[in-house]
Amino acid sequence: MKEEVLDCNGEACPVPLVKAQNKLKELEVGDVLVVQVDHSCAMKNVPEWARKEGHNVEIEEVDDGEWEIVIQKAK
Amino acid sequence: MDKKTEQYDVVIIGGGAAGLTAGIYCGRARLKTLIIEKALVGGLATYTNEIENFPGFPEGSTGLGLMELFHKQAKKFGVTFKLTDVKAVNFDNDVKVVETFRVNYEAKAVIIATGGKPRITKAKNEENYLFDKGISFCATCDAAANTDKMVIVIGSGDAAIEEGMFLTRFAKKVYVSVIHDEGIMDCNEIAKEQAMSNPKMEFLWNTVVDSFEGEGHLDTVVLRNLKTKEQQPVKVDTCFEFIGYEPNTDIFKGIVDLSEKGYVIVNELMETNVSGVFSAGDTNEKFLKQVATAVGDGAIAGVMAEKYLAENEVFYHQILNAEKPGVVFVYDATCELCRELLPIVEEMAARSNGAFRLTKVDVYKSKGIARRLGVAGTPVLVFVKDGKVDRVIDKNITRDTILNELS
Repeated sequence: MKEEVLDCNGEACPVPLVKAQNKLKELEVGDVLVVQVDHSCAMKNVPEWARKEGHNVEIEEVDDGEWEIVIQKAK
Repeated sequence: MDKKTEQYDVVIIGGGAAGLTAGIYCGRARLKTLIIEKALVGGLATYTNEIENFPGFPEGSTGLGLMELFHKQAKKFGVTFKLTDVKAVNFDNDVKVVETFRVNYEAKAVIIATGGKPRITKAKNEENYLFDKGISFCATCDAAANTDKMVIVIGSGDAAIEEGMFLTRFAKKVYVSVIHDEGIMDCNEIAKEQAMSNPKMEFLWNTVVDSFEGEGHLDTVVLRNLKTKEQQPVKVDTCFEFIGYEPNTDIFKGIVDLSEKGYVIVNELMETNVSGVFSAGDTNEKFLKQVATAVGDGAIAGVMAEKYLAENEVFYHQILNAEKPGVVFVYDATCELCRELLPIVEEMAARSNGAFRLTKVDVYKSKGIARRLGVAGTPVLVFVKDGKVDRVIDKNITRDTILNELS
């Protein structure tokens, strides 16, 4: 199980979402992608998309207004 | 992978206005409190660009800004936050279980504050374009990405029109599909006037969505005119749907009582039909869904959860304590007979030299303990032996009954 970190700090929607979608395509089932974001709108559309696709999603608030979206590829 | 288990006094499902307010009350009451939010703390309010009717903010506030203040206040009172979604709940026992992907959270009380999710049109091909492929439910999220583009808004309520006007600051053109006859909208009059005179907005009356089309990403919304039955394809980059909300209550089906439309049914104390489970905010069957009303619900739910835990403590550690026999006098402070008998009960307890333990329960303050003992009415004497209810006298209690039973 590989873990990849994607730094999207400073990037506004829809850039984090598009980057996360592209990166996840390269990963295998069971791998984990950590998307670092600091733009609140990415906190809505990235988890929304990942859950809709059926992946497992958890988020850590690492600092005020900074998050790590942890996506485990499920299929 | 083994699931971890963590214990809390109160677990609040949902971090919107209702959940955060309940959290502030529980945290301030020094309860070990967890709020579980699946996306951004702040909930639905963060989808709104401007909130002008929340008291205390005469200049108005952004939805996100206001909710950040709620969040900060809850954190100040020691509330823990976990950003994940709840997969299932089990409310069968006194210890309630809220299950997420990696952890089972055990709670003495649970507050449901899951709010709503956007309603969709259910038109053809809609599921192919949801969220990231051209259909959005959040203007503040996706407005900038639509700079100089063509967009369409579905709906004519306050959210549709106000967010539509916000979109005109970015988009080249904002079409608005309205189900009603020309000039009729569901939004407030001020918003309507402003929208009608906005040169970037074009209204398509008597229309509903027939289908969504596009290769990979949405490029055309086909509308159907309800009067003429004509189909009208509209080329757009993004479609924003604002046609109301549905309650987010799928995981509670068959567990707590829901209305026909899926809203949680509560009484005025925010109690559901399950003891120890409360519900607050937009997820409840109620008249007005606003930040201001969610805050009121959240406060009640928070206080009731605190009360419930205090009663739990009395019930298990005092009344059902098996060390010595117990007597519970259930009374109502507003009933004259009860007030007459109360000093007699107290005197008999004092005279017994600790042979039994007396607990006085005033149902005027709260019916929670009486309900847990399974008794109704007042006055009632309940005898507890070996940690169990042994005998109940609930009829014709007089001074003599007490003197005989408690000597």
